[in-house]
Amino acid sequence: MMAMVISGVTRACARMHFRARALTVQVLGLQSLRGFRTQSPSLAFAKDIFLGKINKAEAFPYPEISNEELEEIGQLVAPVEKFFMEDVDSRKIDLEATIPPKTMSGLKELGLFGIQIPEEYGGLGLSNTMYARLGEITSMDGSIAVTLAAHQAIGLKGILIAGNDEQKSRYLPKLASGEHIAAFCLTEPGSGSDAASIQSRATLSEDKKYFVLNGSKIWISNGGFADIFTVFARTEVVDTDGKKMDKITAFIVERAFGGVTSGKPEDKLGIRGSNTSEVHFENTRVPVENVIGEVGGGFKVAMNILNSGRFSMGSASAGMIKRLIEMTAEYAGTRKQFGKKLGEFGLIQEKFATMAQQAFVMESMAYLTAGMMDRPGMPDCSVEAAMVKVFSSEGAWMCVSEALQILGGLGYMKDYPYERYLRDSRILLIFEGTNEILRMYIALTGIQYAGKILAGKIKEMKKGNLSVFMEIFREKLQNSLSKKIDLGLSGPDGVVHPSLTDSAKKLEENVFYFGKTVDGLLYRFGKSIIDEQLVLKRIADVLIHIYAMTAVLSRASRSITIGLRDHDHEVLLANTFCAQAYFQNNYRLVQLEKNSPENHDASIKKIAQQILERRTYVCSHPLDRTF
Amino acid sequence: MNATRFLFHTRSLRLPLLCVAGLRNKSLSSGPIALHRFLSSDHCTRRCLCSKPVFRRDPSQSEESQNKPDKTLISYDNLFERAALDSKNKATFSHVLDVFKNKDIRRRGHVEFIYAALKKMPEFGVEQDLAIYNKLLDVFPKEVFIPRNFIQRMFNHYPRQQECGVQILEQMENYGVLPNVETKVLLIQIFGKKSHPIRKYQRLMYWFPRFKHVNPYPVPRELPQDPVDLARFSLHRIAADLNAKVTVYQMPSSDHNEDGNLVCQPYIVGIQSPDQREVLAKHRPNRPVFVEGPFPLWLKRTCVYYYVLRADPLPPEEKVEEPVDPERNFFYPLELELDYDRDLGDDEDFDVDEVEEGPVYAMCMTDSGDRDTLAKWISGLQETNPILGCTPTVFRLDSGPSEVQSCTVSDHPEIEDVLQGQKMAQ
Repeated sequence: MMAMVISGVTRACARMHFRARALTVQVLGLQSLRGFRTQSPSLAFAKDIFLGKINKAEAFPYPEISNEELEEIGQLVAPVEKFFMEDVDSRKIDLEATIPPKTMSGLKELGLFGIQIPEEYGGLGLSNTMYARLGEITSMDGSIAVTLAAHQAIGLKGILIAGNDEQKSRYLPKLASGEHIAAFCLTEPGSGSDAASIQSRATLSEDKKYFVLNGSKIWISNGGFADIFTVFARTEVVDTDGKKMDKITAFIVERAFGGVTSGKPEDKLGIRGSNTSEVHFENTRVPVENVIGEVGGGFKVAMNILNSGRFSMGSASAGMIKRLIEMTAEYAGTRKQFGKKLGEFGLIQEKFATMAQQAFVMESMAYLTAGMMDRPGMPDCSVEAAMVKVFSSEGAWMCVSEALQILGGLGYMKDYPYERYLRDSRILLIFEGTNEILRMYIALTGIQYAGKILAGKIKEMKKGNLSVFMEIFREKLQNSLSKKIDLGLSGPDGVVHPSLTDSAKKLEENVFYFGKTVDGLLYRFGKSIIDEQLVLKRIADVLIHIYAMTAVLSRASRSITIGLRDHDHEVLLANTFCAQAYFQNNYRLVQLEKNSPENHDASIKKIAQQILERRTYVCSHPLDRTF
Repeated sequence: MNATRFLFHTRSLRLPLLCVAGLRNKSLSSGPIALHRFLSSDHCTRRCLCSKPVFRRDPSQSEESQNKPDKTLISYDNLFERAALDSKNKATFSHVLDVFKNKDIRRRGHVEFIYAALKKMPEFGVEQDLAIYNKLLDVFPKEVFIPRNFIQRMFNHYPRQQECGVQILEQMENYGVLPNVETKVLLIQIFGKKSHPIRKYQRLMYWFPRFKHVNPYPVPRELPQDPVDLARFSLHRIAADLNAKVTVYQMPSSDHNEDGNLVCQPYIVGIQSPDQREVLAKHRPNRPVFVEGPFPLWLKRTCVYYYVLRADPLPPEEKVEEPVDPERNFFYPLELELDYDRDLGDDEDFDVDEVEEGPVYAMCMTDSGDRDTLAKWISGLQETNPILGCTPTVFRLDSGPSEVQSCTVSDHPEIEDVLQGQKMAQ
């Protein structure tokens, strides 16, 4: 009891220091509290890469939190970890497909339902970095992690980032305590990412006091028991020329408004304990005060919510893999085959190396991104967050599969948790924007930026301006003669530790040629590059790996410099990863060249077209005969 | 060798044509047959070359031998005609073959008999029956015609019999019957391993399997008997859209009305895909839609007729390009704000002059192509395409095939009539 009181006091003190900071991150209106550096919202790191430059200031040095914050998070993490270890029975949650009320109330007591809600509304008011740290723990159970994420990463995020003070003070306290659960209602039967097929409609009543909402939403996480819904529906908007248009508007809908019904919970492959169901709205009366943002501005709200919710997947996946490494290392160290321990076999060692490397990279990316987001001035880190999501979801799927493989047949059994982890991690590649869609987002956002900046040069080239060609030729000649690419990461005023110089050089080379490749692709395809999805996929993959390399270099440099424990292992991981990523990136860049023999896109498309034309596997059976 | 080379040449000439035809016109079903015909003509040349020396040696005999089969053919024809009195089917045909085989151990006159049998096969409906062909080959006496020394081997041994054997294979080829191992064994037993019929067999086995699937849109051997099923099959074939759905607007039926007259209700089977429905929904009601037809569709030897509902293409000044809604995709932009396009060096499309055609909204088949029936189709379509209710429908019908058959050709070959959709709905 005494200890708790003391820890409560230190927590409160610690909060005083960083409260303002946490708020500025979340609340645009309170930004002036910080009082310094009012820079315009700008997408920092990723966009420069498209021009073949590295914005050192953004990624180096690796973001840190203050000692007070560290202490604070340490005090938060310990009880949460204890709770997950002792009071959460993941197997039971998975089998019974529900989270027991006792567990839910425990989560509420820990304050996990209001991690990022400011303290003035009763939440923990944590920064993105600390949210990511907690994500490492909550990922111990996929169902709980998804329930929490659906509540606060998307469900109430609309109120948090776009709601007015009145809405915040009305809804956030109860949401923070977990008395009310939030859900995010966007997907409809005919619409995944396509806003045009949203059919739900809200009509303004005659007295203009409320909207009447009608429509159905599917696959709503927490849909079965949520009390507060962020709902997107069409409304009629009169635009500036007096034309009537249908636009999407975001609403806060309480279940208590009436006319809200939920379907039965969906039976799923993984995250079975989380609740997913249909939600129907029938003549639900929503007061006009409950519009988030402005009427007709729902599209932006939805986009911002979706873009802001992704970064935490990196730390969550890393947390999961770190636990898997512990569990499987235990097994590999005890189990003997042919008189040798499992861990002595090269093929098993390889799996551990892969898992450690993936966890290391994900972690580095996740905390770099969270740190960037925590900087004042609301930097737009949506592309970085998307990169973290894509990399970590695919890494998690691969690592879980490898961990299961280490155990062989045992891993396949329901007695062990590996198959559950495997099922749970599959959703990571799908929700919060499928990885395919996010790759398009990553590539196109950067291409759009680079395309505008390079527009002048490309247009001159297309006109056949000789001086531009001469300039390019001179540049090329210079590059090929001197062959020195220096973007300033290493060297006298470098930011990377000398023991990572080789890797930094590799990163610089990748970035430099990536810039050249993007330049060439823009010249070749112009705006029609949007239809070249296989090209865009490679662009996104190169960028993701460049960002990953940057993150590990930044992190490892910091670790060496301040002398963190086992930093030599980090250097080993960083150098290995950079060497591998460098080769992969080079291969992708070669594929992106014109008439590259490594590029089989045309054939790949042809195969797919022939299959889709007939909607079946085309070949004859190998046993078929003609005579 | 010569012949193969020749074949190869013609193959390269003929094949692209076939393929193009096959792709363009899905109703083409006789691809392999055309080729067989061609192949057979090639064989004729070769056969003539082979048999020439024989004729040259004894012209008088050759003349005799040319006349003689005709006479004997008549006598063997009678054999078949007698059998035909019973019934013309496989059983009677093979019975005749059995009778001939068992009549005389020497099989006297078997060449003439085989020629006669070949001629009669279509009549008995066994022209595509491999078993019968094998049985026919079995009529030949075995081992007699196999050359035994190099001189026999050098010259054309038993040319008449060999030619007859080739003729059997030729007929198989023309009817698209693929020989089997039994055929081969028989041929070896009769003529030996390097005889002309065996060569013919080898050529058949070389080309037949290769061209078995030359038609990418094969028509089944047996077409459905029921006209509605046939219409369904044909419509799917023309629509070439896996999403297209067939609707039977009216089943065929015949009933007596109050006056006691027989009233036949024609069947109406239509097809429409969701894409077509979407395009039709965007049709502007002030522009008419046309019902046109009948157009023929050949399915092997069967010809069916279909009608289309279409519109004229929009004149260029009325076309509006819908701008991409920037608020459509929650995740990534659907259009880049760049003002330069694909470079010419990367534009791999061919320069094609395209003639724009009007959209086809739906198709149907019916056994009576009169306006009333087609109006029923249109009113049936209205249930899923309400826009047809306010769009003028113009019927542009050629005299239908049924009218030609029943010799009631109307004086006006083209009936044009404007019908307001609203009226039709009633």
